[in-house]
Amino acid sequence: MLIAGTVPIRDFPLTVGRVAAEGEDLVVDGRRIPCAQGTGAMISAALAAVDYLKLEAPQVVVAGDIGQGKGSREIYEYLIQKVSDISPQVMVLHYCLPIMALMRRLCESIQRCPRKVLTIADAGSMYAAKAAGLAPCFDVFTPDASEMAFLADPDATHPAYVARHLFDADTNRTPELVAAAYQHKNAARLLLVKGATDYVVDGGDIVATVAEPNVPALEAVGGTGDTITGLVAAFVYAGLELHEAAIIAARSNRMAGKFAQATPATRVRQIISQFQAVFKEYLCQWSGVCYAIGEQQ
Amino acid sequence: MAFLRRKKPSFEGGGLVLFEDVEDAMRAEKVLRKADYTVRLVAPPPELRAGCDLALEVNLVERPGIERALRENDAPYVRVVPLTAGTSRLLEIVKATDFGEQVMVRAGNMKLSFDKKSGTIVNVSGGGCPDIPYLHSELIDRKLTEAPRPTDIGFTLCGLMLDRALEECLVLWQGGGQR
Repeated sequence: MLIAGTVPIRDFPLTVGRVAAEGEDLVVDGRRIPCAQGTGAMISAALAAVDYLKLEAPQVVVAGDIGQGKGSREIYEYLIQKVSDISPQVMVLHYCLPIMALMRRLCESIQRCPRKVLTIADAGSMYAAKAAGLAPCFDVFTPDASEMAFLADPDATHPAYVARHLFDADTNRTPELVAAAYQHKNAARLLLVKGATDYVVDGGDIVATVAEPNVPALEAVGGTGDTITGLVAAFVYAGLELHEAAIIAARSNRMAGKFAQATPATRVRQIISQFQAVFKEYLCQWSGVCYAIGEQQ
Repeated sequence: MAFLRRKKPSFEGGGLVLFEDVEDAMRAEKVLRKADYTVRLVAPPPELRAGCDLALEVNLVERPGIERALRENDAPYVRVVPLTAGTSRLLEIVKATDFGEQVMVRAGNMKLSFDKKSGTIVNVSGGGCPDIPYLHSELIDRKLTEAPRPTDIGFTLCGLMLDRALEECLVLWQGGGQR
């Protein structure tokens, strides 16, 4: 599994390598990344899941970027050059400055890989993919409610410019937004729409909803959308079908929020620290593949 | 024998900076190129003309950083608009959710939560641009009244929406009789 995204550290160089957890940080090639909102939270969640599943740790491509785009461009260029050599089974694109032309070149490079790469995009990478009309090239998007409105709006190039009538939508209008996104070819094959109720949509059909446990404070906790993306990636990498991975990721995230007794003041690492306990108690029951999930015999 | 042609770098910015006159457009191009922004001089579509037939195509997502660079370098411009029709206005929808001890304010795709008793920012969520994790680390645990403004230290539209959320939080906090 290959994960790419920016980290909020000025002058952090382009760094590539297997990731490991060390204390409250992540370590890649000897460099530390905080387990905080953004790519750090996403990697941490993926790492927690693959660690539990006894799978290989993700390879990551990270670079420092506080919004000026330099690190984002380094990541795009690296991937454009190298992705066909790496040819990962699963590839996750996360926080990056949305740059449509570079995303277009990256998608072309992905399509040149010798094997099918399962592609997951969230955050700025999802914005770039949609804005450039490349959404159908992706296997999974994990938008929240406002990002779902962005995908549904054929004219919007960023969630800040979504048509008001779409943005007014609460989650009870999610099916309508989902239909519009697929109609305009602005959706990945599978959408996991995060919200008060999570929707799992496969090829335009809503195949599941997840609403329990209900932990409303999770919406306020920065990084809890990122963790869902990381969990989806790990479960897909473990061999689950896309929709199964999405459902179990949504359930796991909610349950970790419940275990952590989340409030709006909770930090995302407190949620991530609950994943092992959640997996131990529920993953076998939810996934039905108990022999392979790290349970002690 | 085929001629080798150097491929021009492609650029799809999604946003336009509009100007009163051509001279302003040329000056802005120099300022922004010097600041490492990718820009392109273009003719604006008729419906977006504002007295000048030259505009600057920019990456719309970088609007706040671009506007700041122009202001700091005294480069006059009229406004920044999206290229696509029908979406020329930023979302103005702001909504507050009361969690008891904390309030979460959502502005567009960004959410900021603060402690009602102390006025301390406890969380930032939403968004997908690379300045958001940075702004998250800069704002958390700061008093609303002492926190840096996302429009001053951020660079993207997500940062701009976060600033709007912070502005509303300040209104709520100060309107609640707190200082």
